[in-house]
Amino acid sequence: MSSPQKQPDAPPAEEAARPASRARELVPAAAGVALGLATFALALQIPEGTRLTQFSPRWWPQVLSLLLVGLSLVHGTVSLLRPRQADEDAPDPSTRQGSLRLIAMVAAIVGYGVLWYFVDFRVSTAILVAALAYLGGGRGWKALLAFPVVVTAVLYLLFGVLLRVPL
Amino acid sequence: MSPLVEGFSALLEPTVLLCIAAGALLGMLVGAFPGVTATMAVALASGFTLALDPLPGLAVLLTIYVASNFGDRVPAILVNTPGTPASIATTFDGYAMARKGQAGLALTSSAFASAWGTLVGVVLLMVAAIPLSRLALNFGPAEMFALVVFGLTMMIGVSGGKVLKGLMAGALGLLLATVGRDPITGTQRFTFGIPELTDGIPFIAAIIGLFGIAEVMNQVLTHRRDAVVKPITDFGRWFPRRSDWRTMLKPLAVGSGVGGVVGVIPATGGDIAGILGWDQARRLSKRPEEFGKGSLEGITAADTSSNATLGGSVTTTLALGLPGDSVMAVMIGSMVVWGIQPGPSLFANQPDLVFSIAGIMLIATVLALVVSVLRMRGVAKLLELPHHFLWAVILVFCMVGTYAVGNSVFDVAVMLVFGIIGLFLRRFGIPPGPVVLGLILGSLAEGNLRRALEIGGVGTIVTSPIAVGLLVVSALALAAPLLRAAWRRRSAAKQDTDATVR
Repeated sequence: MSSPQKQPDAPPAEEAARPASRARELVPAAAGVALGLATFALALQIPEGTRLTQFSPRWWPQVLSLLLVGLSLVHGTVSLLRPRQADEDAPDPSTRQGSLRLIAMVAAIVGYGVLWYFVDFRVSTAILVAALAYLGGGRGWKALLAFPVVVTAVLYLLFGVLLRVPL
Repeated sequence: MSPLVEGFSALLEPTVLLCIAAGALLGMLVGAFPGVTATMAVALASGFTLALDPLPGLAVLLTIYVASNFGDRVPAILVNTPGTPASIATTFDGYAMARKGQAGLALTSSAFASAWGTLVGVVLLMVAAIPLSRLALNFGPAEMFALVVFGLTMMIGVSGGKVLKGLMAGALGLLLATVGRDPITGTQRFTFGIPELTDGIPFIAAIIGLFGIAEVMNQVLTHRRDAVVKPITDFGRWFPRRSDWRTMLKPLAVGSGVGGVVGVIPATGGDIAGILGWDQARRLSKRPEEFGKGSLEGITAADTSSNATLGGSVTTTLALGLPGDSVMAVMIGSMVVWGIQPGPSLFANQPDLVFSIAGIMLIATVLALVVSVLRMRGVAKLLELPHHFLWAVILVFCMVGTYAVGNSVFDVAVMLVFGIIGLFLRRFGIPPGPVVLGLILGSLAEGNLRRALEIGGVGTIVTSPIAVGLLVVSALALAAPLLRAAWRRRSAAKQDTDATVR
């Protein structure tokens, strides 16, 4: 994914790297183990059927579950044993404001799903776009009125009129 | 009628031409916005193109793919921020040229190099696609399974040295692909009584979530209000002089060669090719010291190479059924919904499709070049657009587009869940590409492996030279980054020891 490179005079390959965080390695490993074990347990409930073939429908999901558990354990162990190194791909740190904004946006999207059920697409979508623009930092009539109306009109024309999607 | 004439004449439909024009415009725009990648744009466009016929739909998606590889050079050159990963190497010399007052020259020479690179790739597609698919037609279950493993491991092997995380992502994708009916017996697995899951996880929704929603979520999470980007405003002269053209000849040739080869390798895209092409041109240049400091040779090689991969990626995707890069992984999802199953039998049955696709890419290249040369100033203005407009548009288009695929609110919920999964993957450095690839190729891998094992056990695989060859290359692709990292650590430790002794 593209990320801003703010050092105009730096040679191409010399980007500042942040130290790797242990959590960044251990959390995915733990999640992988948990997911693998859960899917293995769930796979045991798949009906075996009449066993017309050599392999039951459980076989492949179980192989993959164990593979995921194994890989996650190896990854976790390697991360614990290896000395901490600079992580060139460390993501930009999240901000408190960003986290709150993200939660609010997800809530707005879920709310939109409910609203769309009761209110016409054009109205609910315009409200959602205005809410998203507001949460993103947009203020004034252009961002909160003109922009939602234009976006909703384009969406309705494209999907509702041209592609005849029942909105 | 010959496939060539038939393929090209199919493009004379006004709808197809209109779709190409729309795709070119959309591609230029999404390329020019840092943070909107070609993969994300194609995933987003999948939502509304599925309502079109296959050829107009392909025209939109392929043209976005081509044009975004022109538009993404604008922010790379003007604000040192690659519009998409394919233009990472463009920043090496492009921004330095812009800072020297040569932004106009950098933009136009980049556009010409990109156009040349794409044309080379398209020629490769026309020449290689049909013979390659005929060769692959002889593949049985063992070879097909090995081919899927090969495609998966290539994507993991090039995922920035994070081999273990890439493997975990691939396993997760394969596991997600087991949701739905068993490919051999039809038994339902992991459907939890939800009828919408009987046919598996809706992959267009999953792809839009992983690439579109997750990226916006990540930007929202990390965006700072004070992060203002000021683009270059002094463009200088625009068109290359005769001496500039002479300087560009060698890097055009080097970039074409590197990009053509890299493009054919599954899962490797323009980002890798751009860097490799730039590096090769520097090695072969008479003025290597100028590379990275505003070299016309550098920007030409990088852009030619990254764009020359496009034809190769399409070739591998359509002829073998293995995504040439992440955009193609997304595009396979749309093609399957249209009833076009990428793989060896596609071009054997529909050879005219190769030429239709090549024709779309040729027209898209010419259009993107014209827009690039004429409207670069206008595209540059887009960089000043506030983020909140972009976020709102992407989120709403993702939702409505996903709904439009099957008129299903369930799909929108799946998209949102995959958006959150994608955000988790991004924050913890797990590449999403192998997840998508596993999800798409999972059923193919399982079905062929089980068939091969039913026929003659493991012997079916180990006695097939093609399968063994592909599996050995796959193992090497996985081992190479690990060995390289170990070698670097050892060299660094040795240098430290030597320095201490001195």
